[in-house]
Amino acid sequence: MGEKIKNFFRKDLVQYVVKRILMFIPTLFLISILVFFVIQLPPGDYVSTEIASLITEGELVDADYAAQMRADYGLDLPLWQQYGKWVKDIIWTPTDSTYYRLYHSHHNWKYSFAYKRDVWSVIQDRLGLTIGVTFIIMLFQYVVSLPIAVYASTHQYSPGDYITSVIGFLGTAIPNFILAIILMYLSYKWTGNANVGLFSQEMLQNGVHLYNFGEFMKRMIIPIIVIGTSGTCGIIRSVRAQMLDEVARQYTLTARAKGVSEGKIIMKYCFRAAMNPTVSGLGGVLSSLFSGSTVTAMVLNMQIQGPVLYKALQNQDMYLAGAIVMVQAILVVIGILLSDIALAFLDPRIRYSGGGR
Amino acid sequence: MKKRVLAMLLVAVMIMTAMTACTKKTETKDNGSKTTPAATSAPKKDDNTATPTPNVVEDVTVDVTTYKEAPILADKVAAGTLPKVEERIPDRDNIFVETNDAAGKALEIGTYGGVINMGPAGGGWGLSRPTLESIIRYNTDGSYYPNVIKSYEYNSDYTVWTFHLREGMKWSDGDDFNADDITFWYYMCHLNNFDGKKSWAALKENVNGEDAWATLTKVDDYTVTWTFVNPKYPADFIMNGDFKFCWAPSHYLKDVVPNYEGYEYVENPYWPNPGERDEEAVRLAAQALGISGESTKDIGKAAVYNFWNTAGIPTLSSFVLLTGTKDDPLCVMERNPYFWKVDAAGNQLPYVDAIHFNATSADGQDLLMFRSGDLDIFEVAMKDIASVLQDMGNKAELRSYASSNWGSYQITFNYATAEPHYSALFANPDFRQAMSICVDREQVSQLLSDGFLEPGQCAPAIGNFGYDAEWETKWTEYDVNKAKQLLEGCGLVMGADGFYTFADGTPFMLTFLAYDGTQDESYPVFEQYFKAAGINCALKNLEVGAFDNEVRNTDWVAVMGPHTSIGGLSLYDRVAPFVPVKGDAAEWYGLYGKWYETKGEQGVEPTGDMKKLIDLYEQWAGTPDSAKKDEIALKIYEVHKQNLWSIAYLKSEGSYTLINSKIKNYANNLVSADLYQYANIAHFEVLFKAE
Repeated sequence: MGEKIKNFFRKDLVQYVVKRILMFIPTLFLISILVFFVIQLPPGDYVSTEIASLITEGELVDADYAAQMRADYGLDLPLWQQYGKWVKDIIWTPTDSTYYRLYHSHHNWKYSFAYKRDVWSVIQDRLGLTIGVTFIIMLFQYVVSLPIAVYASTHQYSPGDYITSVIGFLGTAIPNFILAIILMYLSYKWTGNANVGLFSQEMLQNGVHLYNFGEFMKRMIIPIIVIGTSGTCGIIRSVRAQMLDEVARQYTLTARAKGVSEGKIIMKYCFRAAMNPTVSGLGGVLSSLFSGSTVTAMVLNMQIQGPVLYKALQNQDMYLAGAIVMVQAILVVIGILLSDIALAFLDPRIRYSGGGR
Repeated sequence: MKKRVLAMLLVAVMIMTAMTACTKKTETKDNGSKTTPAATSAPKKDDNTATPTPNVVEDVTVDVTTYKEAPILADKVAAGTLPKVEERIPDRDNIFVETNDAAGKALEIGTYGGVINMGPAGGGWGLSRPTLESIIRYNTDGSYYPNVIKSYEYNSDYTVWTFHLREGMKWSDGDDFNADDITFWYYMCHLNNFDGKKSWAALKENVNGEDAWATLTKVDDYTVTWTFVNPKYPADFIMNGDFKFCWAPSHYLKDVVPNYEGYEYVENPYWPNPGERDEEAVRLAAQALGISGESTKDIGKAAVYNFWNTAGIPTLSSFVLLTGTKDDPLCVMERNPYFWKVDAAGNQLPYVDAIHFNATSADGQDLLMFRSGDLDIFEVAMKDIASVLQDMGNKAELRSYASSNWGSYQITFNYATAEPHYSALFANPDFRQAMSICVDREQVSQLLSDGFLEPGQCAPAIGNFGYDAEWETKWTEYDVNKAKQLLEGCGLVMGADGFYTFADGTPFMLTFLAYDGTQDESYPVFEQYFKAAGINCALKNLEVGAFDNEVRNTDWVAVMGPHTSIGGLSLYDRVAPFVPVKGDAAEWYGLYGKWYETKGEQGVEPTGDMKKLIDLYEQWAGTPDSAKKDEIALKIYEVHKQNLWSIAYLKSEGSYTLINSKIKNYANNLVSADLYQYANIAHFEVLFKAE
């Protein structure tokens, strides 16, 4: 074990990690430019969206009102100045600023026009739930798919292999939102309740406790089936293929010849090697934990981050959309680094110092 | 074994998630509880405005000798956390007794308790619709009565208006509501433009060519007067749709009022100068009260304009927001324990304990939730009514709101254009007739509304003021040949490509402006008719801001689906849909409005019938007599009937609400109009759930 940890902190890996962290800066800088300007691409801005909605609600709005609002929000500045201010305030908002005095934070992610609140407070509202729900679903995916993959690879072309393959493919092939609608329809047809949303009103008011936990789990069934099944197939297929590859290798044969138990061969050697692609795919997980699954969440009326981002983009609530996308980008960058490190830990053959030694 | 560990882990994670969810809903703001006993008046129908058929008001026996209250409030009284009901609401002389719904029907005496579930709160006004109490309230026939105020009166020349308040009335936190809250609103929140609404016409007048504002005087704790230099007639004052409230909780907001450049203190005898208070000071003071905003303007709007959206701000509404925001997955508005209305038996209103606004994230979810019984009231699309009612049987009931719009699918032209070809063409009524009759309305009805909306014209709908069957069917026949003859009569010449050109060979092209893709579905339908009649056309879809900019200039040609369409409830509601007197307000008169507003300095001078509208409007605004006003309004309508500056192809679309049949006292045959504040006219405080 000691050897393993020493190996883990070997010089080339440490150097690699430091280099990667330094690379964060230009990467995030480029991403921030891209994010800021892409969000601004659609014509108009939040003020025009707001005015359109005021008019729909029966208010008359004159041109001065719009101009004043743009000035208040700094939307009348040239784009590059808006961008500069945005980045500067996120990195460091000085102690003698109004923002610091209001929120006691040096990182001003700006204001959400639509929610009329600090952007960070809007994100925070749904962060816990988003991470929780996505985590449960992800756990479901791995818990279900890994045993199936191992079973399918060790029982290749057996009826079990075929059945799981068919179900897995179906899960991937049916778009999530359609599956969600179908399940909601069936739920309504059979039980008279469509189970829209993760929480009953009672839970939203009193919170989820032991006495209503059953009801909560009932409401999790559709999201788990819908989002979970779409991911499981991918995992099953890739792990199964890798496993088949490993099972046929020389070292497996050797181990088997030396009388190592079948379970040990599969779990300790083959499975570990087969996990490589899955682990390297974990990089994206961090970011999806943060946003959740947007379209499905909308269809199922799950109050998580994804629909907030969607609405922010629609309303041109640019700082909110910018913050969510930016945080996602940061998480992707961090996630990739973490999965690289995890991979190194999992597979000592991987080396990070350059060149083909 | 491993599986078991994983399963346990799964459960542990779920519990953690659940706990995150529970911690979200704990913060509440306490309601204060000061009291002074108080008291008076049952409102009766007051003024009567333009309506051909007044409602029949059913008689109701009123007995409010003792007050009763909801069990949950009685529990609080018993626990000593709330004063007794007699101490919370005005006495018999000052109380408001609800007897009839907005259509005149007698109300059932309800039972307490339960919750009304609704869909998402929507925009800035969403929470106010079922809860807001305004200065006066309208019935469906256009008559109105004092609501928050006990009564009002004006002197013989309409220069002094007096509001009498209800003694003993309280804010939702228990603080007294009195004249100070009105002087505070006027001098500290309105005249300094903290609410962003200083431009309201109701309190403004013109003195010696300059804008001037009313003088507000506190006569005693329950009486205020508004004094003007010129006569201020009801239509321009108490009936003005903007003038819904004139109060703010001074005890709660006095430290938030700004005083710096742009929001300077206004001298007055009631509220002292708070000293320099800049934007940061305002934001800090607002933050302490949970009012958020990025600028003084935002905070002013949140605190004294759309105040119902900020938890904790005391209101006079039937239901109040105590925690959270309108955007929460579940937004709860609880009953106001100090609400100042009772039913005919003396039961304090509202009947239900709360209104719940349930967030949805995609179209159709509200329908599904209504079918599941998760919503009690929801606005249903016409096409879904039949199937829902069939499936739900007697569990659901339909309520209809008549529309006050003048027809749907409107198009209009730039009559004030500087381009001579189009200017001459648009001035010719034959051109408009041709544009109207070249379209097969029956087919349009099928294509765009599945036959639900009948063919029609840009005219008042049946049941509305000024309805005229002849007008409703004017130029609605489908006759392409006649349309072509009319176009040729206007001097257009058919070109080799099958499209008309002007006589000198200049191409004739109708480019319809539209905004935000609202006409993307309907334009192709109309395009085929126009092109078949030889009218070359195109659709130019703009983002709404760009659209507004473009129609403020002279060089646009036509608009499909205007931002401010022609016609509406009545001139009492808004004038822009009827007469060209406001700049930047409506497409159908374009720059003519700017001319009137700037007294001829900018814009284009109207001539002919457009000018006639202005003359008639000045007569209308210059008379206090409502019968005479109606007479003049009908003359204005006649001018519209003759000209049809906007053409509509189908009748206007009413709106429909489905309610859980357990909900009682929800009136039927209501009218959907801004002046009536849309769903506010259903009077949510009297709705109850019969279990």
